[in-house]
Amino acid sequence: MAKTILTVDDSGSLRQMVTFSLKAAGYDVVQAVDGQDGLNKAKEKTVDLVLTDQNMPIMDGLTLIANLRSLASYQKIPILMLTTESSDEMKAKGKAAGANGWLVKPFDPKRLIEVVQKVIGA
Amino acid sequence: MKTLPIDELRELLAAVSTHGDWHLLEIETDLQQTTFLLNEAIEKLSHSFMNVYAQLTEQQTALQLLADAGKLQPEEMQQLQIFQDNIGQEVNKVVTGMQFQDMTNQLIQRTINRVNGLKALLQELSSHQLPMTAEDEHDEIRNFIMQLNQNFGQGSQHLTGNLRKSVNQQDLASGDIDLF
Repeated sequence: MAKTILTVDDSGSLRQMVTFSLKAAGYDVVQAVDGQDGLNKAKEKTVDLVLTDQNMPIMDGLTLIANLRSLASYQKIPILMLTTESSDEMKAKGKAAGANGWLVKPFDPKRLIEVVQKVIGA
Repeated sequence: MKTLPIDELRELLAAVSTHGDWHLLEIETDLQQTTFLLNEAIEKLSHSFMNVYAQLTEQQTALQLLADAGKLQPEEMQQLQIFQDNIGQEVNKVVTGMQFQDMTNQLIQRTINRVNGLKALLQELSSHQLPMTAEDEHDEIRNFIMQLNQNFGQGSQHLTGNLRKSVNQQDLASGDIDLF
């Protein structure tokens, strides 16, 4: 059975590119338009990996991670940040919030898939 | 007795505020239009890209059936593999390139927020002119202008503080990856 990845980003084009790349590699993808939507969808179905942006309306990525980590079902689920933010300060905040990795946009699909496979397998 | 040119100063402040507001509104309108056009362009490009990719996948499946049926020569199969690899590399480049909109949108939104902040700052110039009259003492006028200047400075600093830059990319090369 294909593994499911939740991609959270307020940019429609970015979500489309992430979804395209992940589906081409054989993963199922659930999309969310902001942190709150991501949290709701994560609660509906526990996914195998969360890939989230940082700067979004309503709820940002760091707050989403903190909320997910407070849920028993998401304490060990890998969460990766995929964001334009590249400062060490923000990366440290991400790590402290419970992120397992930090990917700076734009992403190369081949490298994204390599990372996803490394984190959750094919 | 010579009075201070308060009316002229008041008119100048009002003119800076009004003209500034009008120009900033034009900038905001242009930026909104640019965002709209970029969104529509990326939507159409993405749609076409997905269609092209779907067609290529279908074509690849058809060619694979021919190959499996032994209807292709080894050198033809080798050539097809080269084409497939090249297409794969180009698709990756397109997916990376298409992400420009996410970054430009964030930069445009930051610019629009700065424009709106600047409009509010300019409003200060016209809204704080009322307490002045030509009969005021020189020191009172000076204090008023200093206060206005201070408010303007604080407003500008506050605006900058609320506009943290989240996009520092200078090109579309793929970004760093850190696993914790």
